[in-house]
Amino acid sequence: MRRTLFTLFTFFLIHASFAQNLTLSGYVKDSLNRETLIKAQIVGTTPSGLEFRSSTNSYGFFSITLPSGPIQITVAAAAHQIFTESFDITQNIERNYYLAPESDQIGTVTIKAKKNDNVKSLDISTQSISGQTIKKIPALLGEADVIKSIQLLPGVTTVGEGASGFNVRGGSIDQNLVLMDEAPVFNSAHLFGFFSIFNPDAVKDVELVKGGIPANYGGRLSSTLDVKTRDGNKRKYQANGGVGTIFSRFTLEGPLTKPNIKDFKKPLKTPAKSSFIVSGRRSYIDLLAKPFLPENLAGSQFYFYDLTAKANYSYKRDNIYISTYIGDDVFKAAGLFGVKWGNTTATARWNHVFNKRLFSNFTYYYSRYRYNLEFTNRDVTFNWKSNIVNNSAKVDFNYFLNPKNTVAFGAQSTYYRFIPGEAQAKSSSLDLKFGLPDRYAVENAVYISDDWNANGRFSIRAGIRVSQFAYMGPGKVYLFNREPGKQGVLDSTYSTTKGQVVANYINPEPRLGFKYQLNKNSAIKGGYNRMVQNLHLISNTAASVPFDVWQPTTNNVKPEIADQIAIGYFKNFGKANNYETNIEGYYKKLQNQVDYVDGASLLLNELLEADLLNGIGRAYGMEVYIKKNNGKLTGWVSYTLARSERQVTGINDGNWYPNRFDRKHNLYIVSQYQFNQKWEFAANFVFSTGTPATFYTGQYSVQGYVVPDAGSNARNNVRNPTYHRLDLSATYTRKKSKDFESFWVFSCYNAYNRRNPFSIYFSTNYKDQGQNAAIRYSVIGSIIPAVSYNFKF
Amino acid sequence: MKIQTLSSKKSIFNGLIAVIAVTLFSGCEDVIQVDVINNSPKIVVDAFVNNQLDTQTIRLTRSIGYFDSTGKEPAISNAQVAVVDQTTAIPKLFVFSYANNGKYQFVPNPVTGDTFSVGHDYALLVVVDKDTLVSFSRLNPTTVIDSLHLVDVEGNGPPNNTTGKYVELYANDRVGQGDFYWIKTFRNDSFSNSINQLNTSADMGNTSNGQDGKLFIYPVRYNQVNDFSRSYKTGETVRLEIHSINAVVFGWFNLVINENRNGGLFATPPANIFSNVISFNPNKKVPVGGCFCMSAVCSASVTIP
Repeated sequence: MRRTLFTLFTFFLIHASFAQNLTLSGYVKDSLNRETLIKAQIVGTTPSGLEFRSSTNSYGFFSITLPSGPIQITVAAAAHQIFTESFDITQNIERNYYLAPESDQIGTVTIKAKKNDNVKSLDISTQSISGQTIKKIPALLGEADVIKSIQLLPGVTTVGEGASGFNVRGGSIDQNLVLMDEAPVFNSAHLFGFFSIFNPDAVKDVELVKGGIPANYGGRLSSTLDVKTRDGNKRKYQANGGVGTIFSRFTLEGPLTKPNIKDFKKPLKTPAKSSFIVSGRRSYIDLLAKPFLPENLAGSQFYFYDLTAKANYSYKRDNIYISTYIGDDVFKAAGLFGVKWGNTTATARWNHVFNKRLFSNFTYYYSRYRYNLEFTNRDVTFNWKSNIVNNSAKVDFNYFLNPKNTVAFGAQSTYYRFIPGEAQAKSSSLDLKFGLPDRYAVENAVYISDDWNANGRFSIRAGIRVSQFAYMGPGKVYLFNREPGKQGVLDSTYSTTKGQVVANYINPEPRLGFKYQLNKNSAIKGGYNRMVQNLHLISNTAASVPFDVWQPTTNNVKPEIADQIAIGYFKNFGKANNYETNIEGYYKKLQNQVDYVDGASLLLNELLEADLLNGIGRAYGMEVYIKKNNGKLTGWVSYTLARSERQVTGINDGNWYPNRFDRKHNLYIVSQYQFNQKWEFAANFVFSTGTPATFYTGQYSVQGYVVPDAGSNARNNVRNPTYHRLDLSATYTRKKSKDFESFWVFSCYNAYNRRNPFSIYFSTNYKDQGQNAAIRYSVIGSIIPAVSYNFKF
Repeated sequence: MKIQTLSSKKSIFNGLIAVIAVTLFSGCEDVIQVDVINNSPKIVVDAFVNNQLDTQTIRLTRSIGYFDSTGKEPAISNAQVAVVDQTTAIPKLFVFSYANNGKYQFVPNPVTGDTFSVGHDYALLVVVDKDTLVSFSRLNPTTVIDSLHLVDVEGNGPPNNTTGKYVELYANDRVGQGDFYWIKTFRNDSFSNSINQLNTSADMGNTSNGQDGKLFIYPVRYNQVNDFSRSYKTGETVRLEIHSINAVVFGWFNLVINENRNGGLFATPPANIFSNVISFNPNKKVPVGGCFCMSAVCSASVTIP
């Protein structure tokens, strides 16, 4: 594997030296804070009208090959002013472009022709949201949120308020690869999913890829959510933050190399070599509630916090980034119970530009998700913790081969350690430790992909990723006798030594995308991808909870595999191309989907694998998206018609049944209206078909116990009521001084007080009144108004 | 930095925050009307038979609609019911004859050797109309009870109003893995059938996790033995019985517990509760509910002084 890479690498180096055209390369950055700009478009036009295109990669680097002679260069990036220059190119040039933000203050609306990026790029089923857009969407309790914003995009659904994560094109929540500065995050939820762990103040860009997934991403079936944090202002120190109803935020950023306070307000003449950003949030319900708590709950803790920090340093052709995230949710009723969960990630990256065409990035990351459960019974304290830890090294290359080909290739290796459950029962007389054995695995992958622009109209992205997953010792291996659709019966076990491979899976994952440009404003695009997943989140609650179990692929659990095809029609229209539309269809086939026998016990179950069933799935649908980019009124309308089903021997008599997150119709309307320089209004409307559920039909008694009965062997045979909701918000921006800017956000979630059911559950002998009842459980059962105050100086 | 402005504004909506906090985190529940039709009532077999010498009962009924508040399950009175000992050289038949309310009974007789024995494999045979139902169960050994202790608990007011005497069970799991128990509490000879006191154990605890042969874990020994809304008064009698069950019946009880204690944010979707009684005719699937289990029993009792 290593030798192949080396050969490829040498080939590209040699090839580069023989290239005949000239190369313009460098970075595109924001002119004010020197943040690098992702996916900025660089277009070179010759006097004869020939166009050459390139775009910046995720680190803001570009390289474009041009014929020698006079050339006009146009550089454009979202929310930034377009830059144009003309010159004679006679030699290879390294040059950075600094684009001014579209509006240097809130309230200035600039109308500019769109560059048709969505039509011209090869990406299909891909959506980006900038940190700025996220902040404008009305949110629960006025707190802008990354995941809640994602849930308004076509093809994305959620089980409901209070559900962690999101579902993409009929996939479960663990089928999304959520990356924060390259490191995977295993639970993106704070407070059981009411908020996500990403602090919008620290987020630069969020990209969701639902289909035609490029070869550099792998490991999950349904989507990749790539969250990139900001680099921090390189010109001056800046603080911003907010005081909200639930939590407060504070962010500090600035250059690292110019710590002199006197330079605070002076614009730097040369960009700083380094900068930092530190961003934190903490909820304070517990502090506010403290005086009102009864005496026996006085020691209660009830909060969450997160801290996102990043620093970078650039020197000539090298950039170094170090970033970290730490966050926890803590809920503790003193002397009764306590739960705690959180993610920790740390990423170190080194970008190196080998030459004008070869860009490289080396990444090392550490990511850990852990949770703790604790409860006390008289004098016995029971404590249980679980972890998933992974360490990974990877390398990615972008090779701008020639005007027609851009090649991406790289490799990754990840070492996993699973601590499924370590429990301890402790009292004055007892100290009992028990739990499940740790598990280990190694995952390796190599990939190569080429973006080939065949002619002006037709381009192809073809790639392949080969992934390998080895489940290994030390540990305990379980062998089961299995009858299809039934709980497995333990046959035997054996112990393994360190590094002993128990099961090894190698899977090629071909990826393909194409674009056919119909005319300047419209294109047809298609994509195929095979994805493989070796980590499985085992959950049997209506919504995912922090205590769900991460299970690796083993000798008993096979890798999940998905094949997806997607095809779409993209068109921009309107004055200045300010309407962006696309319609996409997709079909997904899934293998080795993990389900469980009825009543499976998932927690602290050594023989969990015996309770797991293996099935197939299919998901298909159509998505329509219309977005208005400019003007006083902006926003989008998205409609998704979808279906997601499973077939598992042993469930529903072996017939297809809808997944628990299957929603047929999904309509989202997101709008913002800029009334004047002070006031901005926004509204969201969400309409979704209810999720499927299994309902009881009968009951009987055995030994005096009531046994509720679902009649046949059906699963998900009934639909919960339709979900719909309207959210409103108004933002008032205060007249700022030169350096201070503040705004108030008044928001109203669930404006017409709809009681949307999160789930309907059944209670036998409800409230001991001797009567069975169906209970509608709504997480949010009323209008939720909120005010937050935000500042920046 | 205008911190002063911040703090003065903050105090204004402190009250609002408190209101919102309550709204947000309590969620809300209400009873709704759901139309469900129990269009295929199941034959329900309630067959828990033990090795004791008192009258053994197997009950046959039909299931009723989930929202039927009468609780009256139609009795099946025309069935033939028997348990067969498959371990004896010649299979031995124990015929249960109809008494009333769907109950079929058999009285063991130690003199004639008509008793159920530990270690033997039994089959249940039920013929209802033209359908034959069967199930199998081994009569596993149970453990022994060392003692029952009385515990004085001082409550600290609602909702933990638990002042009074409660019982703690002292018994060890049998050595060796794979023992399953059902622990029944009787208050003054009346069986406490509240779902919160449905008390089962796999070896020492609620799930099999390799712990074996020692004292039952605390929830099994104490929490699930007592009803904390009613402490024991002087003169009352408490009897605990430990019935041996098997892995399948343990799983069945777990499902009953899960389905009855479900709810809230972490509710699991309703699951089907299987039955270990199956229809003998593979071509015509008769819907059957319920459970067949052969148990050995040990018991201990204490009178509150």
